[in-house]
Amino acid sequence: MQSKRAASAAYLLAVAAGFLFCGQGLAADDSACIECHGSKGSITDAAGAMDLKLTPEKLDRLVVLPAETGTVHAGIACLDCHPKAGDIPHPEGMLNDNPCAACHDDALKQVNGSAHKDPAGGEHLRGTCWACHGAHDVRPPNDPKSTLAPVNVASRCLACHAKRDYLIGVHGHGVQLAGLDVAATCVSCHGGHDILAPSETGSRVARRNISFTCGKCHGRVSEAYRKSVHGAALTANDNPDVPTCVDCHQAHGTVDPLLPQFRLASPAICGRCHNNPKIMDKYGISTAVYSTYVADFHGTTAELFRAATPDQPLNQAVCYDCHGYHDVESVTTAGKAQIQERLLARCQACHPQATTKFLSAWTQHYIPSRTKYSMIYWVKVFYQLVIPGTIGFFLMYIAVDVWGRRRHRRTS
Amino acid sequence: MSAQGEKIRRFTKRQIINHWLMLITFVGLVITGMPQKFAETAWAKGIVLIIGGVERVRFIHHVLGTIMAVQLVWHLLEGIWLHLVRRLDMPMVPRIADVKDFIHQIKFNIGMEKHPPRMDRYGFAEKLEYLALVWGTAVMVLTGLLLLYPVKWSSLFPGEVILAAKAAHGGEAILAFLSVLTWHVYFVHFRHWNTAIFTGLLDAEAYAEEHPVELARLRRGEEAAPRALKAWRVAVFLAVSAATIVAVAALYWWMRNSGATLETIKVPGLS
Repeated sequence: MQSKRAASAAYLLAVAAGFLFCGQGLAADDSACIECHGSKGSITDAAGAMDLKLTPEKLDRLVVLPAETGTVHAGIACLDCHPKAGDIPHPEGMLNDNPCAACHDDALKQVNGSAHKDPAGGEHLRGTCWACHGAHDVRPPNDPKSTLAPVNVASRCLACHAKRDYLIGVHGHGVQLAGLDVAATCVSCHGGHDILAPSETGSRVARRNISFTCGKCHGRVSEAYRKSVHGAALTANDNPDVPTCVDCHQAHGTVDPLLPQFRLASPAICGRCHNNPKIMDKYGISTAVYSTYVADFHGTTAELFRAATPDQPLNQAVCYDCHGYHDVESVTTAGKAQIQERLLARCQACHPQATTKFLSAWTQHYIPSRTKYSMIYWVKVFYQLVIPGTIGFFLMYIAVDVWGRRRHRRTS
Repeated sequence: MSAQGEKIRRFTKRQIINHWLMLITFVGLVITGMPQKFAETAWAKGIVLIIGGVERVRFIHHVLGTIMAVQLVWHLLEGIWLHLVRRLDMPMVPRIADVKDFIHQIKFNIGMEKHPPRMDRYGFAEKLEYLALVWGTAVMVLTGLLLLYPVKWSSLFPGEVILAAKAAHGGEAILAFLSVLTWHVYFVHFRHWNTAIFTGLLDAEAYAEEHPVELARLRRGEEAAPRALKAWRVAVFLAVSAATIVAVAALYWWMRNSGATLETIKVPGLS
């Protein structure tokens, strides 16, 4: 016991002497710090000498390797960020002050206005600087070793945010697997220091702003969207019902729209809103669009095709083959004559022999009635009468026959 | 009367084969057709999954439909041969007597008659089903052809006709399926366990109950014999048959090969 105490006293003396001899000038090369923090062995010895019982994980975290080349803070001394480290043993609360603020106060100001600020208004940021940038190995983002190099961004954000579907989305695939550093990472859409929740008006991913955020890369597409019936309503009066980019494409698990899965799932995507009377009734739009599609040849095939082979390419028309996608237009703005003309062109894209006569082989989502597509209506009415009539007659006759035969058997 | 367990021949081998064909095509067409009519339901998707995809379902449906259509044409030609060339009766054709038998049977069932009607080779129940079958098959074949080549047919009719044909195809299918499920199943499965159409033979007892008039005639040995062939009748038959075959072939050619048919386009972005 005594010898151990003597040893620790000697150790502390040695360290203190080191500081004294080196003075301010030598602090810059950090050799005194590295003496303890340079390896697991030396930090373990130091902790043991100070009678500190630290977990192996904590010890691991206390190891700070000498800065490699390329870190932006290579010229900064340990004490610049850890001013209390001059005291041995180190006092409590080494990290309470944000050491980054001294130089990066502009960035800190932005973070303090963002979703990652301290909810209590203090200095305990929800997302600390080093949670994203790393602590001792901060590198410029174009350095592939940087914690914020495109390929590493997701792992930083996913440490706290459960949005793993980004990794299987088309953007995550691009960055992670295809090596496309230009593909979107978390920060491409959400921003960095000034990140805001989607519910905030100024957020890059607020409904109003999403098309512009996507438009940074997908410019022409987002422009077409903003001119469409959906985008125009959003721009004009913040319509809460129209879809934005992410409503059809998903924000994180964005499916490559050229994949068969997307094509096959697309009628259901449109159906999410167009099947919903709560949304459609406001605009006087029929909710039968999906059921009439599935009842028709294309929809029947698509529906059954998807059930058996959801990953195979389908050549039947889906909603967007006729309506377009980013440039969806209301049928009322185009006018009847133009609709017919365009419809024929759409039909002929797949059925080159189609004539104007062929157009009425599609009820344009109408349910046949006395006034619209009456021939189909009357055939349906005929069978609605004949089927129960015939089968009812059969069943009645059979009932009488069964009854009669039982009666005769009993009497005979 | 008859010896215990005596069996009497009721159907020829050709009729047995005919029924087997009809049985297979009908059941197959129902199984591959109904999922297409009720595509949104889970059971429809299950059937498609079991068969292995909607294309295979359609392919089987088209093949079986073609067999049924050939059967229909064959049957009409066979009718001409037997009735107009061999000069045999047409025992399937309904007569006033069948209406009377029907009323008689109901009266008997409710106790207004002492004895059941005495029927000939085919009773009213069989005739009704036969008529429904021929009529139904004709409707299904005609509407099916419209659905098979919609673009082609819409060069003759407005497209609405295709959709009306689709409605009729579906309605008639339900009607046929339910009719078989009720009428046919009752008469040959429940009223009697009647296997005559598979074995060709019917118990003398059942024969006496259901076809007493024919049985009496058979017992008297008064079986109708075909008349001797006459050259001009055979010639007319051959001409009609040839014309029918040519017409069917021409129709097939027109639907499939004259001008473009349905082209399979490529999905944009996929090779």
